Amino acid sequence: MEVLDIRVVLAPGISLLCALLVFVLGRHDGWRATFTLGAALIKLVLILTLLPGSLEGVVYVYRAFDFPPGIGIAFRVDGLGMFFALVSSTLWVLTTIYAIGYMRDQHDRVRFFGFFALCVSTTVGIAFAANLLTLLLFYELLTICTYPLVIHDETPAALKAGRKYLAYTLAGGALILLGTVLVQHLAGSLAFGTGGLLAGAAGQPLLPLAFVALVAGFGVKACLMPLHGWLPTAMVAPTPVSALLHAVAVVKAGVFGLLRVIYDVFGVELLAGLGYTSWLAALAAFTILAASFAALAQVNFKRRLAWSTISQLSYIVLGAALLTPFAALAAIVHIANQAFAKITMFFVAGAVERTTGRTELRELTGLGHVMPWTMTAFTIAALSFVGVPLFAGFVTKWYLSLGGLQAGAWWVVLLMLASALLNAAYWLPVVYRAWFQPPRGLEPGVREAPLLLLAPALVSAAYVLLLGVSTRVPGMPFSLAEAAVRFVSGIGAAP
Amino acid sequence: MEHLLPLAAALPLVAAALLPAVAWRRPDAAWGWAVAVGAGLLGIVGLLLRRLLQDGPFSYAVGGWAPPWGIELRFDALSAFSLGIALVGVAVLVFSGRYAQAAVPPQRRAWYYSLLLVNLGGLVGFACAADLFNLFVCMELVSVSSYALVAAGGGRIAALAAFKYLVAGAVSSLLVLFAVGILHALTGSLNMADVALRLADVEARGPVLLALGALTAGFMVKAALFPLHLWLPDAHASAPSPVSAVLSALVVKLGVLGLARVLPLFAGLDWLVLAPLHEGLAWLGAIAIVAGALAALLQEDLKLMLAYSTVSNIGYIVLGLGLATPLAMTGGLVHVFYHALIKATLFLAAGAIIHQAGFRTLRDLRGVGRAMPWTGVALSLGVLAIVGLPPTAGFLGKWYLLLGALEAGRPGFAVALLAGALLIFVYYLRILNAFYFRAPLREQILAVREAPLSMLLPVMALALLCLLGGLFGSGPVALAALAAARLAGGG
Amino acid sequence: MDGGWQHLDYFAFVALFCIGLYVVLAKSNLVKKLLGLNIMETSVFAFIVTSGMVDGGTAPVVGPGIDAPFASPLPHALILTGIVVAVSITALALALIVEIKRQCGTIEADELKGAE
Repeated sequence: MEVLDIRVVLAPGISLLCALLVFVLGRHDGWRATFTLGAALIKLVLILTLLPGSLEGVVYVYRAFDFPPGIGIAFRVDGLGMFFALVSSTLWVLTTIYAIGYMRDQHDRVRFFGFFALCVSTTVGIAFAANLLTLLLFYELLTICTYPLVIHDETPAALKAGRKYLAYTLAGGALILLGTVLVQHLAGSLAFGTGGLLAGAAGQPLLPLAFVALVAGFGVKACLMPLHGWLPTAMVAPTPVSALLHAVAVVKAGVFGLLRVIYDVFGVELLAGLGYTSWLAALAAFTILAASFAALAQVNFKRRLAWSTISQLSYIVLGAALLTPFAALAAIVHIANQAFAKITMFFVAGAVERTTGRTELRELTGLGHVMPWTMTAFTIAALSFVGVPLFAGFVTKWYLSLGGLQAGAWWVVLLMLASALLNAAYWLPVVYRAWFQPPRGLEPGVREAPLLLLAPALVSAAYVLLLGVSTRVPGMPFSLAEAAVRFVSGIGAAP
Repeated sequence: MEHLLPLAAALPLVAAALLPAVAWRRPDAAWGWAVAVGAGLLGIVGLLLRRLLQDGPFSYAVGGWAPPWGIELRFDALSAFSLGIALVGVAVLVFSGRYAQAAVPPQRRAWYYSLLLVNLGGLVGFACAADLFNLFVCMELVSVSSYALVAAGGGRIAALAAFKYLVAGAVSSLLVLFAVGILHALTGSLNMADVALRLADVEARGPVLLALGALTAGFMVKAALFPLHLWLPDAHASAPSPVSAVLSALVVKLGVLGLARVLPLFAGLDWLVLAPLHEGLAWLGAIAIVAGALAALLQEDLKLMLAYSTVSNIGYIVLGLGLATPLAMTGGLVHVFYHALIKATLFLAAGAIIHQAGFRTLRDLRGVGRAMPWTGVALSLGVLAIVGLPPTAGFLGKWYLLLGALEAGRPGFAVALLAGALLIFVYYLRILNAFYFRAPLREQILAVREAPLSMLLPVMALALLCLLGGLFGSGPVALAALAAARLAGGG
Repeated sequence: MDGGWQHLDYFAFVALFCIGLYVVLAKSNLVKKLLGLNIMETSVFAFIVTSGMVDGGTAPVVGPGIDAPFASPLPHALILTGIVVAVSITALALALIVEIKRQCGTIEADELKGAE
């Protein structure tokens, strides 16, 4: 059922308005904080009002501009889009609070918060895009809007990271444009919601090119190996930006785009016949393992987080590539699970850095004694990554394994076990040293992180726990993911 | 109403002739006069466009002599480019007010406005010309005034560049005139519709081919199509900035529009296969995209970068004409219009920055974006538009060109186009990086003031058009599609 | 008229055109380049004017006692315009050359290249 609803375009519009207000009136710290926080809350409420309908399978649509003629910038909220929008706008509230604390006495705060709001506006645009071109449009805008954030420090290293980031993502954008044009050429339409735009184009010689272009294009932001190089380099950015890159917006835009490509552009049926996705699944499996090994080798907190992100994202890609309902459920729900756990980690990393100046993993030794709350959040996130039952990460691993078995791919179960072991190998020693070894070389005055940095970390850590235990509670993300799988045509019957 | 069409071309020309008299006693009146004429031109073009959209293409027989004997003016979908001419014209004239005070010596100022008006009148006349000779005369009006305008600011490099431009321009004009002569000798007519009909009966193949070759070569030079672009960068970079805007946005389009006008003349000949010519144009266009972008990448001078970017963008348009499918030509033609708006934005914004800061290389201008926030925003919008980021105006041309390349069964050209677009992004990124994210090299940059309102307003208006022009682009796209359908249909 | 392609005079125009082009491209002196340009213009004008000639035709002045065939008057009208354009280009080019001489002290293209 499709319902015309202006709220669909208001949601990205609010962040856009907020960005403009920040740019024009944002010199005053109080005003700026009011604008950003107010917009974040209003948008979250707005999206929450759409939630009941989405759970029922209602699809909200709105057509904004006729650009290009005949295709149009149009918005459409289905379960999948709703899920992504909900995750990113919840996290935006947390990240905004955190950023206000973190960016205090930094330079160019107007620019920072202005582009920050723009990023979130475009992220919701990606989530609500009704066709491939609208998706591409917001995807490219996201690239542009994150650039000033990545190079915020304006050091040579930051500029270099920014260049690398743009080189990867813009090339990816060009590939998506190529893919979009190919889809328009082959299918004559770009609109989502048909359960496979290209269903009628089987056997066309340009079909493999379209698949490669779209998967590689979105794969850049999804950090699919070997297209992941920009993410570790981009760690020079301020911590809230890393959170934005890793959890709220950028990489999620990549995997979300991949989900759209698989479920809405090609469709499960066509892909099952073509067999391209087995290659994609193999690549995702490789990325999961290789990135975990790379993470093991890192000694810097944020760099290990970056490699961990690369590994975790491929869970989602793998889930989509398996083409079964359970795997799809795992893929969608992992968007939230990864996001909340990862953003907790980043909040902790930033809080530790701001409070103690420490950035290396071995320097976390004994910090549990001085910063117990911060390290509690860290521990919860770490256990979630390992996949301990009752934590969010377990839900993903469980349904992904089921999905693998559904597809007849027993190796997925082994992969999940191996990945759990690797995650344990690189997170648990840190947890152990933080709590069970005495602190070393700390200045006497060091205490718990300030509230503006600590509170977001604790809230998101609590959410990680909630995600792990609330799979049967209606209205929670898991039920929405189930609704997405049930109602998004083409994914398959409900599990 | 009936006489609006000739008025559109005649108004700027007559006003240009009267301008020295107007400015005789009061030199300051020249600017007001020119701006008023520009606004009038915009109004007339608006009315003409409304009539075009309501009733379709219409003609006007000058002096009441019916075509093919009399001079015919015709306003069709291709002539709708007049809107771009008028918009850019008004913006440039308004912008010139403060700019010319500093950049053009006082005794030349009246002539400067006069020449600008001649240029605009010639452009409108060219867009509406229905016979070959009118086409030539209007082209010459535009060309000669352009040569003079390049040198209007004075200075050594400008004079040299103007001379180089003059020689290249004059030779290409001669080629066109030569071809017009041949076609007249063969068909006894100058009216383009009539020539196209009569050419089908001509048996002498050699002269027809010669005329086609001369026309193509002549217009390629006018369009600065790589590798015939050598005259362009110096001329566009050393001219006063408002003139650069006119040259890059409008004057180079003469070549492209000219090609679009004359190629259909030959399409009705059953013995002549145009495919190799189209193929060649497509290749040259693709090469121009990449080569222009690479050359721009090597520049340090802001205006030289923009000039090479024009070479690259002309490549887009010619690629569209060369692919010769309806969608590709729609892309090329719609880019003719939007590139005019975008490049005018960029040159005017760059002009304002150079005017205020007194520097023109990227190194010296580092950090200027913070000192001139509004101009900076306009420039950034222009940059996003020219790299073709959706939803700006620049995306539309790229979109239809890509679709057209697939329609023609040539995905390779689509890939080349995307690669070129990425390169273009790289050098525009250099501009944004220098203006916003690099620490200034020059202390004076921090003290630079925002441009005065008379410069800022036209720049902002054009920048807004770059954005909104894309979002509300169905009109220009429909017109371009109409023109493309006529071209593809064989004229 | 179209049979006239074999006419000998056309070779003269082509030769003139080529001479002009050669001068434009090969000569370093800017005034000589301009002269070359003028030679090219002349060749094109001459070609177009002769193309209007009809065998046995007279000047197209209509009046009592004058009979057809007339030579086509149109090319003459065209070339008049063309000459006006050519003169203005020449004037402009000369002005530019004067300016260049004043600013750079030379009008030799190869020396100017070094001076840039």
